[in-house]
Amino acid sequence: MAEQLNKNSVVYDDEAIVAEFQAKRKLQIERDCAQPFDQQALLEVRHLRKCFPMKKTITGKVTKELVAVDDVSFKLYPGETLGIVGESGCGKTTTGRAILKLHEPSGGQIIFNGQDITHLKSKQMREIRKQMQIIFQDPYSSLPPRDTVGGILSEPVQVHNIVPKDQVKDYVLKLMDKCGLRDYYFERYPHEFSGGQRQRICIARALSVNPKLVICDEPVSALDVSIQAQIINLLKELQREMNLAYVFISHDLSVVKFISDKIGVMYLGGMMEFGTKEDIFKNPLHPYTKALFSAVPNPDPTAKMERIKLEGDIPSPANPPKGCRFHTRCPYAKEVCKHVPPEYKECEPGHFAACHLL
Amino acid sequence: MAKKTNGNYLSGKEIRAISKANAKEMKRLEAYKKRRASESEFLTQMKNNDNILEIDDLHTFFFTEQGVVKAVNGVSYDVPKNAVVGVVGESGCGKSVTSMSVMRLIQGPTGQIVDGSIRFKSSEYKLDEKGSPIPKADGGYETEEKVYDIAKMPIREIHRIRGKQVAMIFQEPMTSLNPVFTIGQQLDEVTLLHLPGATKEIAKAKSEEMLRLVGIIPENVYNAFPHELSGGMRQRVMIAMALAAEPRLIIADEPTTALDVTIQAQILDLLQDIKNKIDGSILLITHDLGVIAEMADYVVVMYAGKVIEKGTVFEIFQDPKHPYTIGLQKSKPTMTLDDSTELYNIPGNVPNPINMPTHCYFKERCAMCTKKCSGDYPGMVQVSPTHFVACHLYDEEKNNG
Repeated sequence: MAEQLNKNSVVYDDEAIVAEFQAKRKLQIERDCAQPFDQQALLEVRHLRKCFPMKKTITGKVTKELVAVDDVSFKLYPGETLGIVGESGCGKTTTGRAILKLHEPSGGQIIFNGQDITHLKSKQMREIRKQMQIIFQDPYSSLPPRDTVGGILSEPVQVHNIVPKDQVKDYVLKLMDKCGLRDYYFERYPHEFSGGQRQRICIARALSVNPKLVICDEPVSALDVSIQAQIINLLKELQREMNLAYVFISHDLSVVKFISDKIGVMYLGGMMEFGTKEDIFKNPLHPYTKALFSAVPNPDPTAKMERIKLEGDIPSPANPPKGCRFHTRCPYAKEVCKHVPPEYKECEPGHFAACHLL
Repeated sequence: MAKKTNGNYLSGKEIRAISKANAKEMKRLEAYKKRRASESEFLTQMKNNDNILEIDDLHTFFFTEQGVVKAVNGVSYDVPKNAVVGVVGESGCGKSVTSMSVMRLIQGPTGQIVDGSIRFKSSEYKLDEKGSPIPKADGGYETEEKVYDIAKMPIREIHRIRGKQVAMIFQEPMTSLNPVFTIGQQLDEVTLLHLPGATKEIAKAKSEEMLRLVGIIPENVYNAFPHELSGGMRQRVMIAMALAAEPRLIIADEPTTALDVTIQAQILDLLQDIKNKIDGSILLITHDLGVIAEMADYVVVMYAGKVIEKGTVFEIFQDPKHPYTIGLQKSKPTMTLDDSTELYNIPGNVPNPINMPTHCYFKERCAMCTKKCSGDYPGMVQVSPTHFVACHLYDEEKNNG
C-alpha cells in the first residue's frame, strides 16, 4: 500500500521548491521593474512588498519578519476605481498605506504619474502628497477635536498654497458645499457632528488639495446603512466631477462591487485574483473569490443558496502556510498546493489569478 | 458667550436643574430595583401561551446631564416558542438597550427601566420544603413553569433567570471572555452554578459536550486561554457558554459583526444548526439585513427607540410597508444590484434622542410624507394577522378593517 502511494505521488522537496521559486521570482521582479513606465497610468504598483520586523537581535539585525504585503502588482488609470477586498489581516490597508508611503515599502516599485516614488525622501514626497490623499475608516478618531471644521479644511489649503491667502475661506466654503456640508458648519467642532457628517468632513479635507488619487480605507464600514448610501453616492459624484481615481479598500463585497471598476482580492498578504468588475463577479476563477462571494448573506429570504463552506480560520500572517497560502482552507486543495506556491498568471486578458487549478 | 444662545449648548444653571430632577427620579427607581419583594409581586400571566417572551410597552431611559435620553420608548414585541426573532435597526435605535433590559444589565443609576413589562416564561426546577430540587425517576429533576415580569423583579432575584433561562452572546468575543481564566474554567462555572448537585467531573463533561456541539475539539481548547484563540473560535466558545445552562431564550447581540465574512458564514451556519437542536428561541439583534433574512422567522424593525414595523420575514422583505423599511432595503448595495444607477439613500440623520419631536420621528427624512404626519405619533396598524406597521399612510386600512 505504502509503495503504491509512493509510486503515484510525487515527492516534494520543500526547500528546493522555495529556493527555485524565489530565484524565479527575483528574475521576474528584475525584469518587470526594468520595463518602461506606462505613461497613461496614474498609479502603477509593481511587485510591492512590505515586511514588518518581528524579532531583532541586540545589534538591531532583523531575524524574523512578518510579510504583510507580498508581491502585489496593479495599474490604475485616471478616473478609475480599484476595489481591494479581503478579510482582516490580509494586507489591504498596508497596501494602501504603502502606496502613500506612509509605510516605507520593503521591495518593488510604486510609480505615480510617470515618476518612481519608491525611494523618494519625505521632503520630496511633500509635493507629491498634494496629488494623493487618504480617507480613514474611523471618522471619530481621524479629526482633531480642538480645531473647527473651517480650520481643519483650511490648513491643507494653506500649507500647500492651493489658492491665495485671501481666497482660502471662499474656497473652503465652496468645497464644503460640494461635499454636502452647510456653510454654518465652518465654525463648529467635530464632536458636534454625527458619523456620516464627520466622514463628509474627512472627504472634504482629502479633496481640499485637488488630488488625483484618493485612497479610501474602509470609508463606510463604521457607518449605518442609510448613511453609508449617502457617502457612497457622494464619492461617486465627486469622482465624476473631479476625475478622481480611488483605491477603495473594504471588506464589504457588495459596497466594493457597487463602486469599483477593477477589483483585487487579497488573502494573507498576496493578491489572489485581479480583474475588471465583470470578470471578478461574473466569472470568478479563484476558489477563495468564489467562497468569499457565497459567504455574503443575501437579504432575500426566498433565495436559499448553496454556500461554499470554508473550514477553519485564517492562518497567522506571521507563520503563513507553505505552498499556496490558501491551501489550508481550500475545498479543492491537492497535494501540489501544499508544497508549490502557485504562479500569479494572466488567465484571460486583464484577469489575473494565482491558483494551481487554473 | 455667543454659545449660550446656540441650541447645542446648555448653561451651567440648566444642567444643574436637569441633574436635580434626574437625581430624584433615579433615586426612586434605584430603590425600587433594590427592594425586597415576595414572589407573588412579580409573578404574572402570558397574554399568549405560545410566546416565551412578551415585551409590552417598555420604556428604558438614560438620565444624563443633557436631559433624559429615551433610548427605548414604548417598545412591544413577542418572541414565540422555538422561533428566531430578528431585531434590525441602525445604531442608537435602542435594539441593544431592549435586550439589555431583558437581561436587566442596564447600567444604573443613569440607565433605568421606567415603565412597561417584560413577561418571560421560565421553566425551573421544582423545589421541596427544604429548597432542594426533586429528582425524577428517569433522571434529571422535575420542572415547573412560572411567568415572571422581569421589569418588576428586584435585582436580587434576577439570578433565577439570568444565565440560566436567558443567555446572551455579545458582539465582542474578546472583551466578554475573562482573560485570566482558561476556557474550561469559565465554561465549567456555568454548569456548577446552574445545575443542582453538579460536581467538577459533571461540569467538565458538560463543557466538553458543549464545545463539541459548536464544532470545537475540546482537547485543544479546554485548557487554553482566550487570547490563544481567534475571533471565530472565541465566538464559538461564547455560544457554547450560552448553551451550557440549556436556556429557553438566547439573546445574540450582533454575534457576527466583529467577524470576517467567511467566519460569519461559519457562525451563522452554527446558529442555524443549533436552532434545530435545542428547545429554545433566539432573539437575534443585528444591523445587517442579510443576516436577518437568512436567520430569522420574524423581524422587528426599530427606529429611534420605537418599533416601526414588525412581521414575518417574508412580509418584511417582500412587502415592506413603512417608508423607513423600504428605504433601508433599497439603500443596501447587494451582490445582484445594477450598479450603473445611483444608490438610493435616506436623506438626513436620526433626530436628537433628547429632544424628540411629537410627530412621527421619521417625518423629516420621509419621502412619502403627508399632512397627517405633522400630527400625533402614528399608532400601530395591523395590515395582516402577523404584520404591523406604525405609519399614517396605512391609517385607512385600520378604519376599513
